[in-house]
Amino acid sequence: MIWCCLFLCFLLWFQVTAVPMWWALGVSYSPASVEEISCGQIPGLVSKQLRFCRRNQELMPSVAEGAQLGIRECQNQFKGRRWNCTTVGNDQSVFGNVLNNASRETAFVHAILSAGLVHTVTRACASGELLSCGCDSKRKPPPEEGWKWGGCSEDIRYGTRFSRDFLDPQENPRYARSVMNLHNNEAGRQTIAKTMETQCKCHGLSGSCEVKTCWKQQSAFKILGDLLKEKYDSAPEMKVTRHKEMRGWQEELIPKYDHFKQPTSADLIYYEPSPNFCKHDPSIGSFGTEGRRCNATSNGIEGCDLMCCGRGYNTIPEEVVERCECQFIWCCKVKCKSCRRMYDLHTCK
Amino acid sequence: MAGAVLENLSTRKLIALCVVLLLFQAAFFMLGGIIAPSPTTAYPHLTNKCVDTGKHRHKQQWFIPWGEFACEKIVDLEDAIEQEIVANQIVFSIEIPNRPNKMSRWFQYILTVMDITIAYHNENPLGPDPVITMEISLGYRNEGDAPGDWKELIKTTEERKLECTFDRPLIPESNDYTYHCDPMPFMELGSCHHDYYLINIRVPVHEHKDINLDLGKLQDIHIIEIHQNGGFTKVWFALKTFVTPLIIMMTIWFWRRVCALNRQSVLMERTILALGISLIILDLPIEWLTLSVDIPFMLLISDIRQGIFYSMLLSFWIIFAGEHLMDQTERNRLSVYWTQVTAIVFGCTCLFVFDMCERGVQLSNPFYSIWITDTGKNLAMAFIIVAGICASLYFMFLCYMVYRVFRNISVKKTALPAMAKARQLHYQGLIYRFKFFMFFTLLCAAMTVIFFIITQVNEGRWKWGEEHTVEVNSAFFTGVYGMWNIYVFAVLSLYAPSHKDPRKYESTVQNGDVSGSSNEEYELRRTLTDSAATEEPSELYRMTGKTAQD
Repeated sequence: MIWCCLFLCFLLWFQVTAVPMWWALGVSYSPASVEEISCGQIPGLVSKQLRFCRRNQELMPSVAEGAQLGIRECQNQFKGRRWNCTTVGNDQSVFGNVLNNASRETAFVHAILSAGLVHTVTRACASGELLSCGCDSKRKPPPEEGWKWGGCSEDIRYGTRFSRDFLDPQENPRYARSVMNLHNNEAGRQTIAKTMETQCKCHGLSGSCEVKTCWKQQSAFKILGDLLKEKYDSAPEMKVTRHKEMRGWQEELIPKYDHFKQPTSADLIYYEPSPNFCKHDPSIGSFGTEGRRCNATSNGIEGCDLMCCGRGYNTIPEEVVERCECQFIWCCKVKCKSCRRMYDLHTCK
Repeated sequence: MAGAVLENLSTRKLIALCVVLLLFQAAFFMLGGIIAPSPTTAYPHLTNKCVDTGKHRHKQQWFIPWGEFACEKIVDLEDAIEQEIVANQIVFSIEIPNRPNKMSRWFQYILTVMDITIAYHNENPLGPDPVITMEISLGYRNEGDAPGDWKELIKTTEERKLECTFDRPLIPESNDYTYHCDPMPFMELGSCHHDYYLINIRVPVHEHKDINLDLGKLQDIHIIEIHQNGGFTKVWFALKTFVTPLIIMMTIWFWRRVCALNRQSVLMERTILALGISLIILDLPIEWLTLSVDIPFMLLISDIRQGIFYSMLLSFWIIFAGEHLMDQTERNRLSVYWTQVTAIVFGCTCLFVFDMCERGVQLSNPFYSIWITDTGKNLAMAFIIVAGICASLYFMFLCYMVYRVFRNISVKKTALPAMAKARQLHYQGLIYRFKFFMFFTLLCAAMTVIFFIITQVNEGRWKWGEEHTVEVNSAFFTGVYGMWNIYVFAVLSLYAPSHKDPRKYESTVQNGDVSGSSNEEYELRRTLTDSAATEEPSELYRMTGKTAQD
């Protein structure tokens, strides 16, 4: 009983600081572990999601992998930025308080994680691990007959549906923040659908294109990351409006500036400005750039001027031992020499 | 060809026939568009990376991706570096189909395409002209067999040339982006006789023999499996089974009419008979056998049957146009058409040889493809180009011939009023027959081309309201197939010799006139007796010569 209370207090405390999110699953997940993921372990699920999780237990490793993939790609995309998609150890929201803000960063994180889920579920389906993908059992003929009669190649439709059914119940579409999250979740899914490549095979008479069969192939997740990053850079700022409905106030998002066109469902949207991430302030999710490495010669965002917010930087000469002149032999053999190299390490003050 | 049914049919009957045929045509399209599912479906499979731990060296071992006898797997090849796994231990494995389904004999064939994912790494790029060497085993299992009891279908070592491009600068920043590699033909099974198939692929590395050394960072192998949908097969079989007896009956009827004529058949009639027979060969639903017997050469047979029909159809067109030239040259012999027929036969032989090289060899090794080696590719291209040249030559011949027919028609038309009644009727009959045929053929050909383009451009499915979808591809196949059946059916029925001849001169035919083409015979007599005979002396001369030959 005491433990229960403590747990509740713990939970409440987290509610105040940062919202626990399902993607915390991705931080600790390792594909080699044999332990089953129990739905109760997944942070931040609402009851509808919990029920969905219990029905789709076998997909949970893919969910964890999807979270991992999304987080990794986020960090990869924001490598040289002031906010570098930092994960906070021991925090169930993974990214800390930055997500409390309805900023571009939040938009990006939601989109890439929802897309990550589509990616890994689709992959798991293609590898034949899962029993539940494939034929939609809701169709009229029983799945066995449906498969025999007309086949059921689902490509990413199953993954997309799964991502929608699993993630979207978390949001209450009456609030602006939820409207934004729902939109960005969907933007992630739509963007990944665009990265699919269509390939075809001709197999008619003497191999002619009289009979042609096409399918869709997922491309590398990095390409999706690039696309979403572009969308992050060009995301339109919105503003919140409210109107009265039967059930109470309904919040809506409309473009803040009239001369911008309405964002499409594949665009990222946000309605609060991001902090500048210069100073250490955990309450807004900013970890500051002190001690971060920077590039002294670059004028870009990874350059020391911008990265260190004008505070200047320290330069320390450093010697590193690197592997070099490597010889790779597929799949898994690498023969390298080690080389010593001197270089200047610049870190922000 | 004397007085075809077409000339003597009343307009009302002709319209009625056309309407019935049109209704059938519509039914054929609807059969494919509404009842049948799409003709084929592709299923991308991601191969599982099994690890051969070497526990069962002594016997043929299968690596099963999942289930009771699942192999030890690794998720990412990067993990293998730490675990000190070597390339020869990695087995890429897929089971077709994915759980919980099983294959069906209605699927007719299995095609697979291989798609390799290779990531760029600046220290380990893909070599120039990379070739992947694979040891492949294909196994099968049936419903009643024990879960791990896979039987070997074939084991082979195959090479594939990778055609990959990388559209980014070759710098460290491009690491982990993937090459764009063309999907490669992998396997073609001409029958789908078993319930489950298992493919194991090893990509062994031999440093001394320089095998598989420059593959770059190979990450994944996707195998895309394609088969005909069971529902489409059922509809297709039903269609064939329905049309076969009709065409057989019509051909018999046609030939009996010709035989009843009391004279030798002319070339036109023999050609139409041959067309009917070639269509029967194409229609005959011998595919039913595949449901009980394993016939891997069915695809080849289907190709040959289609080839026979197409070459016969092309020959028929040229002969039909030739026989309606109306320039009074003696034809009625196949040898007159030797150039055109040679083009057809040569073109078809080329395609046949090509098909034998591809699907014929696949009977012994389903992983073979003529496209994978450079010589094979050149050879295949050569065959196809020669066939293409033959086809264009043929169409030039045909167009020229049709042009001549139309020129003659206009010449004859101006001369018509001056002719005697019999000649007038004769030529009017010829012109009508030819124009009807041209219109009908062009309509069918245009429909085929239009539908082909629609299927190529469209996504293959049209939405019809909320629930109904129209399968454009299936509609194309059943519709066009049905259309050529209707075409031959119509030719057989409309161009059969008529029993009744509205012309008074039929008596000459019935009076035991067995001297070959009775048509010209009575025409000749008429021209001789008529005063109008003087109009074309040279023609008259030729015709007299012709009768002498007969």
